[in-house]
Amino acid sequence: MIACVAVVGHQNNPLYIQSFTEADDALKLHHIVHCSLDVVDERVNNPKKSGPTLNETFLGLLYPTENYKVYGYLTNTKVKFIIVTTHLDVRDADFFRRFHAAYVDAVSNPFHVPGKKITSTTFAERVSTIVKSFGLSSAG
Amino acid sequence: MANYLAQFQSIKSACDHIVIAVEDVSDLWPTVKSGFEERLPFKRACLNNKTRNLVFVENLPAEFILTTDSRLRSRFPQEQLLYWFREPYATVVLVTCEDLDEFKTILKPRLKLIVQNDEREWLIVFVSKAHPSNDQATKMAKKVYAKIEVDFNSKKRERCCKLDLHGPEPSFWEDLESKIMESIRNTLDRRVQFYEDEIRKLSEQRLMPVWNFCNFFILKESMAFIFEMAHLHEDALREYDELELCYLETVNVSGKQREFGGIDHGDDQAALLSPANKALTQIVQDDSFREFEFRQYLFASQSKLLFKLNRPYEVASRGYSFIITFSKSLAKHEFMRLAYLIGYGSAIERSPVNSASLSMLPWPKPSVWPSVPPNASSEVIAKEKLFLQEIPKVKHFGIQRKPLPLEPSVLLREANRRRASLSVGNVSEMFDGSDSDASLRMSPSNKSQVITMSRTNSSPGIFESSIDRPMRLAEIFVASEHALKHTISNPDLWKSLSSVEEFEQKYLDLLKGAADNYHRSWWKRHGVVLDGEIAAVCFKRGNFDLAAKSYEKVCALYSGEGWQDLLAEVLPNLAECQKILNDKAGYLLSCVRLLSLDKGLFSKKERQDFQSEVISLAHSEMQDPVPLDVSSLITFSGNPGPPLELCDGDPGTLSVTVWSGFPDDITLDSLNLSLTATYNADEGAKTLKSSTATVLKPGKNTITVDLPPQKPGSYVLGVLTGHIGLLRFRSHSFSKVGPADSDDFMSYEKPTRPILKVFNPRSLVDLAAAISSPLLINEAQWVGIIVRPVDYSLKGAVLHIDTGPGLKIEESHFIEMESYISVSQSVANLGNRHGSQKDSSLIVNKDFEQLHLNDGKIQLPDWASNVNSILWIPVRALNNNLARGSSSVTPQTQSIVDGMRTIALKLEFGVSHNQIFERTIAVHFTAPFHVSTRVSDKCIDGTILLQVMLHSQVKASLTISDAWLDLQDGFVHTGQGNGRPTSGFFPLVISPTSRAGLLFSIYLEKTPTEVEVEELRPDSILNIQYGISGDRTVGAHTPVTSNSTGTEDAGESLIFRSALVLQRPVLDPSLAVGFLPLPSGGLRVGQLVSMQWRVERLKDFEENEACQSKDEVLYEVNANSDNWMIAGRKRGHISLPTKQGSRIVISILCVPLVAGYVRPPHLDLPDVNEANISSNPPGPHLICVLPPALSSSFCVPA
Repeated sequence: MIACVAVVGHQNNPLYIQSFTEADDALKLHHIVHCSLDVVDERVNNPKKSGPTLNETFLGLLYPTENYKVYGYLTNTKVKFIIVTTHLDVRDADFFRRFHAAYVDAVSNPFHVPGKKITSTTFAERVSTIVKSFGLSSAG
Repeated sequence: MANYLAQFQSIKSACDHIVIAVEDVSDLWPTVKSGFEERLPFKRACLNNKTRNLVFVENLPAEFILTTDSRLRSRFPQEQLLYWFREPYATVVLVTCEDLDEFKTILKPRLKLIVQNDEREWLIVFVSKAHPSNDQATKMAKKVYAKIEVDFNSKKRERCCKLDLHGPEPSFWEDLESKIMESIRNTLDRRVQFYEDEIRKLSEQRLMPVWNFCNFFILKESMAFIFEMAHLHEDALREYDELELCYLETVNVSGKQREFGGIDHGDDQAALLSPANKALTQIVQDDSFREFEFRQYLFASQSKLLFKLNRPYEVASRGYSFIITFSKSLAKHEFMRLAYLIGYGSAIERSPVNSASLSMLPWPKPSVWPSVPPNASSEVIAKEKLFLQEIPKVKHFGIQRKPLPLEPSVLLREANRRRASLSVGNVSEMFDGSDSDASLRMSPSNKSQVITMSRTNSSPGIFESSIDRPMRLAEIFVASEHALKHTISNPDLWKSLSSVEEFEQKYLDLLKGAADNYHRSWWKRHGVVLDGEIAAVCFKRGNFDLAAKSYEKVCALYSGEGWQDLLAEVLPNLAECQKILNDKAGYLLSCVRLLSLDKGLFSKKERQDFQSEVISLAHSEMQDPVPLDVSSLITFSGNPGPPLELCDGDPGTLSVTVWSGFPDDITLDSLNLSLTATYNADEGAKTLKSSTATVLKPGKNTITVDLPPQKPGSYVLGVLTGHIGLLRFRSHSFSKVGPADSDDFMSYEKPTRPILKVFNPRSLVDLAAAISSPLLINEAQWVGIIVRPVDYSLKGAVLHIDTGPGLKIEESHFIEMESYISVSQSVANLGNRHGSQKDSSLIVNKDFEQLHLNDGKIQLPDWASNVNSILWIPVRALNNNLARGSSSVTPQTQSIVDGMRTIALKLEFGVSHNQIFERTIAVHFTAPFHVSTRVSDKCIDGTILLQVMLHSQVKASLTISDAWLDLQDGFVHTGQGNGRPTSGFFPLVISPTSRAGLLFSIYLEKTPTEVEVEELRPDSILNIQYGISGDRTVGAHTPVTSNSTGTEDAGESLIFRSALVLQRPVLDPSLAVGFLPLPSGGLRVGQLVSMQWRVERLKDFEENEACQSKDEVLYEVNANSDNWMIAGRKRGHISLPTKQGSRIVISILCVPLVAGYVRPPHLDLPDVNEANISSNPPGPHLICVLPPALSSSFCVPA
C-alpha cells in the first residue's frame, strides 16, 4: 500500500504531504520524503546517459529499502512528487500522471498562491481516491 | 555422496595443476627430467573449451609425475572416477633400446602392456643415447625407433617421438609438446564429456526426492575445477554461475526450512573473497548447504576466477549487486540492529529520524530464537535494572512528544514465537496482546505497569523451571547477547557492544562517518539529519556547544526548505542547548521561531510556555538590549482601502493592522513604525512612535500612531520595531491577510501598497475679493471676501484681518458671513431674484452668521468648513482730499491708486492651525462721481454756460436730489439764483457708468471787490446731494449705518463735493510767450536741439507789487524728464525791461530721448499770474521726434 504521498516544490519545500498509515508516524515519513530529495537531486544533476530518460519525468525507485520503497516523479516546473510505499512496486508513471493532473488542477485555483502549501480539500480527497484506487488495482 | 565432500575438498585443495604421468620404462627419467621440466609450464597450450572450440592458453602449469610415485599409485577406480580431475592427463612412456632384438623380445611386449589401457592418453618418447660420432649406434637407434614408429603409430595419430641425448634435436621439444598437448586436449574433452553427462543425469532427477544438492555440487565443482586447472577460467566461472543459480533455485523453491547459517564465531567479519573461509563440511546441512556460508563461498570462488581473468572491475560490480541482493536475504536472517537486541536501544534517541532510518532496516528473525543461557539470571536482572533507570527524556518546554518506536514493534512476540520450545502464538499473544511492546517503554506509567506485571509473572526463582513461560524482554536481550557473543569475532565490535557507553561511542563514530560520507556525496539532507543525531549524542554527553552547532545546521536546513513539521522536532532541542549555554539572543530567537511555526505543530500550552519564556527573558536582567527579528511572528500592514491622504504639512493619525502570532496577549513597551518614501530614497525612513505601551491580542490588532507632518510623497510601511523589556524586536514582514504565511523563505516581492500619500503643496483655500468694482470712499462699505476651501476642511480656521493705511474696519458692526454659491450658479438665480432686490444678500435661505471681530481676527464658523462662503467686512476708506473735477480740455488724469486700499488677510487653518494662507486684497474705493466741466457756450452778454458732467464711478444707481455750485472768486451766478439748476430736474437718476450733465449759468465778475481779495475760495465747489442704491455683491452700495435698517433714508443724505477750477480768460495780457519754430530738419532722438521762447512785454509794467527787480522775470522750464534731457539752467531770472515792447529770447538746449509725438518742454513764468500771460500756441501741443539716424560706424566694408 501507499504509506505516504508528497508534493515538494521546486525549492524543495513541502507543498503537500499526507501519510496513509495507521501508526502515528507521520514525522517519520516526513523524514523519508525529505531525505529522498537528496536522491532526486542526484538523479536530476547526474542524468543517466541513456537516451530515453531524457524527457522522462518518472524517476523510478529512489530508495531500495526494505520496509518502504520511495518513488519519485519530477515535473517540468521542478515540482517533485514522492510516494512511499510498503511492499508495492510502482512500475510506471501512471499513478504519478494522475497525481500530477490533480496537482495541476489544484494549483490552477486562482486562490492558490504559487509556492504555498496546497490546502485544498478537494485535492486531498482526490489524492486519497487515487491512492485507494491504486492500492486496489495493484493488489488485484 | 555427501560423505565424499571432505575428501573432495582436500583433494581439490591439494592439486591445482595438470598432471602428466611418466612411465619410466628404461630408467631414463633422472637423465631427461631436467630437460622435460624446463618446458613447464607450457608456454602455449591449445585446448578445447566446453563448447569444443579451440582456445589458446598461455603458461599452462603442469607437473610430470612418475607412475611409480605414491601420488599416482593405489587409487581405487571409483575414486578415480570421482576425482578425475587429479588423474594424469597424459602418460609419457620413456624408452630406450640399442638392440633390435631386445626391442622385439622385451620392450615391445612391455610397451604393448602399458598402452593397452585405452583410457589413458599416452605417447612414447624414444631416447637415443648414441653419440653422433658413433655411426653404428646411431644407425641402430634409428632402426629401433623406426620399428617403434611402425608398431605404435597409427594412421590417425603419431604417438612417438625421438630424443637424441647427444645430438642436436631442435624439433623434438616442439614435437613432444604438441603431442602432450594433444593428449591433454583429448583427456580434457573426454572428462568434460563425462561430467557433462553425469550432471545432465543428475539434473534430470532434480525434482525427485532423492536428489541431493551436494552430489550436484561435487560434480559441478569438479567440472569447474577441471576447467580452472586447464586455465579455462571462463568456463570455470560459467560453471560456478550455474551452480549459484541452481543453488538459489533449490534454496528458494522448496518449502523446506533451511538453515541460513552465519551464527558461528567470526561470521560477523567480511570473508567475501576467501573461498576457504569455512570448510564446506561445516556448512553442509542434510542435502544442501547453509545459505550464508555457501553463497559467500560461491562468490569467493567466482571472484577468484575473475581475478585470474584479470577482471577486477567485474568483481566489484558483481560484488556490489551481490551485497545488495544478498543483504536482503541476509537481513532476513542476520543479526542487525544489534544494539537494540541486547537492550541498549535506550541510548538511542527516539527521534523520528532514527525511527525512520531504522524502519528502513530489517531486523533479525532467526528461525529459532536463541534461548536464555543457564545461569544468566543475574544478567537478566541487570538488564531490567537498566530499563528502570531509563528516564524517558522530556523535551524542553515540557513538550510532550510520543517517542517513535525504534525497536521492531513485534520483537517480543516474534522472539517468543520463534522459540523452539514454545508453541506458536498462545501465551505470547496473551502477554502482549493488550499492549504492544512498542508502547511498552513509551510512557513511564505504562512501562512500570508492564514491568511489575512481568515481575509477578516470573521471579528469578522460577526462571529455570518454567521453560514454556514466554521470555521477557530482558531475557530476550540476554539471550541475544549471548548468541551474539558466539558470533562476533571482531573484538572492536564486541567491545562496542559490551556496555552502553561503548555502544554510544560506536554509535557516534558510525554517525560521524556516515554523515561525512553523505556530505561528501552531496546528500546534504542525509548528512544534516545525521548531524542532528550527532548533536543528540553530544547533548547527552554535555557537549552543548557542539550540539548547538549541529542542531543549528539541522534547523537551518529544515527552515530553509520549509519543512516545519521536522523543524518543530529539532528546534526545541536547539533552544535547550542555547538556554544551557546562556546564549540569550539565540534562545530568544529560537523561542520566537518556535512561536512562529504552524500553530498546529504545538499545543496551546506549549506555545504559551514559549511566550512566557520570551517575556521572562525580556524582563530579566540582561546587560544589553537584545535585537531580535520577529518578522515571522508579528506582521503588519496598512488598513485595506485607499491610503491615508494628507495635505502637505498636515499631521494625522495612521491606523495600522498588526497581527500577533503570540498565543496570549503581549505587552509591547514601545512600538515604532517606520515610513519609507517610495520615490525618494535619500529621505530615509521616518519613524513614527506610539508613545504608550501597546497590548497585542493574538491575531489581528489595529493600532494608531500619530503622524507628524511629512514631506510630500507617497509612503509605504517600513519596519516595525519596539521593545519588550530589554528585547529590541524588529519586524519587516508585511502580511496580506494574516500571519499564516510565515514560511518567509518563499516570500514574494510583495507589492508594497502606499499607506500614506502626502500631496504636494497646493492651494487649500482661496480668499478673494467678492467684487471688483469700486466702493464708495469715505463711507462705511461692506467689503466682501470670498472664502473658498479647495477640498480641504476649514474647521476651526481663524482669519486675521489687517487693513492697510487709509482703511479702517467699522468695529461697531458685526462681520457678516454667509454661504456663497459660485458665480455661474448665482447668475441663474439672479434673474429670479430681481424682484426682491432689496435684500442685499445673494442667497436667502443659506447659512448666515454674524461674527465679531476680536483682536483683529475672527473664527470661522463650522458650517463654513467645507462650503464656499463670503465674509462681509464693514470698512471705511478714508480720504481727506477733496475730489477734483477736470476740464474737458485736460482730460481726466485721476490716478486709480488714490482709491486703492488693501486688506491683509491671514487664514490659519488645518488640524492644528498648521496651514497658513495669506493674501492681501486690494479694494478699490472711489467717489461716486467724477466731475468734468466745459464751457458750453459764451453768450454775448458775457454769460457763460458751464456744463458740469457727472460720470458715475460706481456700479450702482445714483439718485441726485440736489446740486449746487459754490463759485470761486471772480465768478457769479447769473440772476439771483442760488447756484442750483432748475429744481424740476431732480431727482436725477444716473445709471451705473453713465453720465449726466448739469448746466450752470455764470458770468465773470467784472470788478472783483477788494474784500474778496483774501481769496477764500480759490476753487469752485460743486455740491451734490445724492442717494445710492446698490448691491454689495456688485459694488458700491448704501453705506453701513449704525441702525442697519434705515438704509433708504440715510442714502438720500449723502453729499458729494468736488472742487472745480474755473479759469478766467486772459483779459489783460502783459506778457506774451511764444514758442519759436523748431529747425526744419525735424528732431531726432539724441540730437541736440535748441528750444527757444520769445518773451515780450505787451504793456508797461505798472504793478505796484513789491518787486525788487521789476526789470527781471523769473522763468522755469518744465519738461517730462522721461522724454527730454535739458542742458542749461532750467530756472533763472532774465532781465526784461519794463518798457512795453521789450522782448527777449530764452533758449535752452534739449536732447529728445524718445521718438514719437511728445510734449515739448514748456516755459513757465511763475511770478506772473497766468491770467496775464498770453501764450502761443495757447494750449498744450505736441511735436514730432524722429528715431535716431542709423549709425554705420560699426559697419566695416568687406
